[in-house]
Amino acid sequence: MLPDLAAPNNRKVTRKTLLFLLLAFMAQAQGFSQDRPIPVCLSLFNESTAIPFTRFFTTPVHPGMQIGTEFDYSVKPHSRWFQTANLSYFYHSYLTQGIGINTELGYEYRMTGGFAVAGLFGLGYMHTFATTEEFTFSGGQYEKKTDKGNARLFPSLSFDIGYYLQGAEPYSPKIFLRYQAWAEYPYSPDFIPVLTHINLHAGVKFFIHKSSGNHE
Amino acid sequence: MNKFIILLVALVAVSACRDGETIEPSFYTCAFNFPDSSMSNPDNQQYQDLLNEIISNGVVGITMSVSKPQTGMWIGAGGMADLHNGVAMKPCNISRMGSTVKMYTAVTVMKLQEEGKLNLDDKISAYLHGDVIDKLENADKATIRQLLQHTSGIYNYIQNLVFQTASTNDLIREWKPEDLLRYAYHKSAYFAPGEDVRYSNTNYILLGMLIEAIEGKPFYDVFEEKLFLPLGLTLTSFAAKDPVPDGIVRGYIDIYSNLQVLESTYFSGWDYYTADGGLISNPYDMSRFFQALMQGQILNASSLDEMLTWQTPKDPDPEFYPIDYGLGIFKIDTPQGIAYMHSGDAIGYYANMIYFPDDSTTIVYAVNSNYGKIDQYVSTQSAIENILETVKP
Repeated sequence: MLPDLAAPNNRKVTRKTLLFLLLAFMAQAQGFSQDRPIPVCLSLFNESTAIPFTRFFTTPVHPGMQIGTEFDYSVKPHSRWFQTANLSYFYHSYLTQGIGINTELGYEYRMTGGFAVAGLFGLGYMHTFATTEEFTFSGGQYEKKTDKGNARLFPSLSFDIGYYLQGAEPYSPKIFLRYQAWAEYPYSPDFIPVLTHINLHAGVKFFIHKSSGNHE
Repeated sequence: MNKFIILLVALVAVSACRDGETIEPSFYTCAFNFPDSSMSNPDNQQYQDLLNEIISNGVVGITMSVSKPQTGMWIGAGGMADLHNGVAMKPCNISRMGSTVKMYTAVTVMKLQEEGKLNLDDKISAYLHGDVIDKLENADKATIRQLLQHTSGIYNYIQNLVFQTASTNDLIREWKPEDLLRYAYHKSAYFAPGEDVRYSNTNYILLGMLIEAIEGKPFYDVFEEKLFLPLGLTLTSFAAKDPVPDGIVRGYIDIYSNLQVLESTYFSGWDYYTADGGLISNPYDMSRFFQALMQGQILNASSLDEMLTWQTPKDPDPEFYPIDYGLGIFKIDTPQGIAYMHSGDAIGYYANMIYFPDDSTTIVYAVNSNYGKIDQYVSTQSAIENILETVKP
């Protein structure tokens, strides 16, 4: 039997995940306490339910958006390890809408000429709400009630290809296309244990200079 | 950043879920053209209590017919046809009957054989060509009989996870046969034709195409000409003619297994144009069809014997009665005796029709909700046992 996040044991799992995410975000904040430009990654994406890596762009478009930031662990001339922290939202017609926070461990390789490739592995928490009218069985009959949503974990694996507009400049803005495969768990205990998704992001990374407030 | 968070919250608020359609109760008006004696049936209260018990578990609505030679036809209903508009289910309401259509498909093919237009032991490749034969493993060797009996070994497109996620991605897409078959192309067959038995919807898509190839018209028009009209099944139709016809009850899915159901009336688009699903009917019409078939009013005795010639899978489903497969019909051994049956699922709907050859008892029921926690009360062996214990004690 699959765990239900509402069950007491699994609330611990959810709490652990949230604690992990909180620590990750605090680490980000620690990084920002230094007087360095803050990277901001902003993307629009198309979400779909799909088996990862069997589909690329799908229709109908289920729109989503994500904002996040990054914190570098180690930087070398052509590569870096980094951590992300993201907030995202998507709307899947007739099925669900979700708002999630996640963090990812990423590795990026910068090539000459401004191109870069990256891979990211992440874990997050998502709360989903039905986008179609929902009725709850209560007291022997169905009633329309406020949708409190469903708690989910969402591991993800992403690959992106990007282009730094100012070449090797460390704070160069970057445009990127990201393929994100992720899973929604637990989806429907005893029925559909896991539902897999893909998000195809088109985004931009830019830096905010704390001292001047200017955007690059 | 703050602006973005505000925008996200605003988006969630603005994009709140879409409300159900406002539908007048008159939309669900229906009537039988037979003298309904259900209220005076000696088992009326027991049957109604059974429906009420099923509804009390979280099934949204149910219609049921019970036909016995000694007491005639009983019809009843429980629960709701439409939650948004607060409309109660009526016994005559029409619903999606899913794969029960396979029995109608099989009977139509048998009638074509009686008319001398095909032979069950012909290869399907004698009638169909192109991708359908070239890209489906075993399609070049399988016979019509093997398709009817699920002994072709041809891959079931519904088992393809890529299809399952794609259909979830576009819940209101209307799928054409070739769209569905694509998910079975180049998939390994389960076994060589005739070696074993395994249920595959792909077989019945091919049989629908076979009917069309022989008759030169849509298979559902052939259903109408050969079955619906002659038998007077006035509340029976096929989804391709009108996917959401007037009077059809709303469907609901317990997709999160928590008895919080979503409306799914428009979600069954892969069930609209192929002969493996798509039947719209009510228990009264289906009971009349099943009884007419078993009483030899549709097929001759030789054809019926062929339909009722059984094959047993090597690996039966451990969670259900052991099933023997006939041509578009199953045989199960219940505590109440041998029964013939076929069930069917659509998204938000389930139906089952059961016939006991020992005494001609015929039970048909249809519900407008499924998946998650609901399935255990409508489609499992224990759900069927619960119904049979009341109807055929």
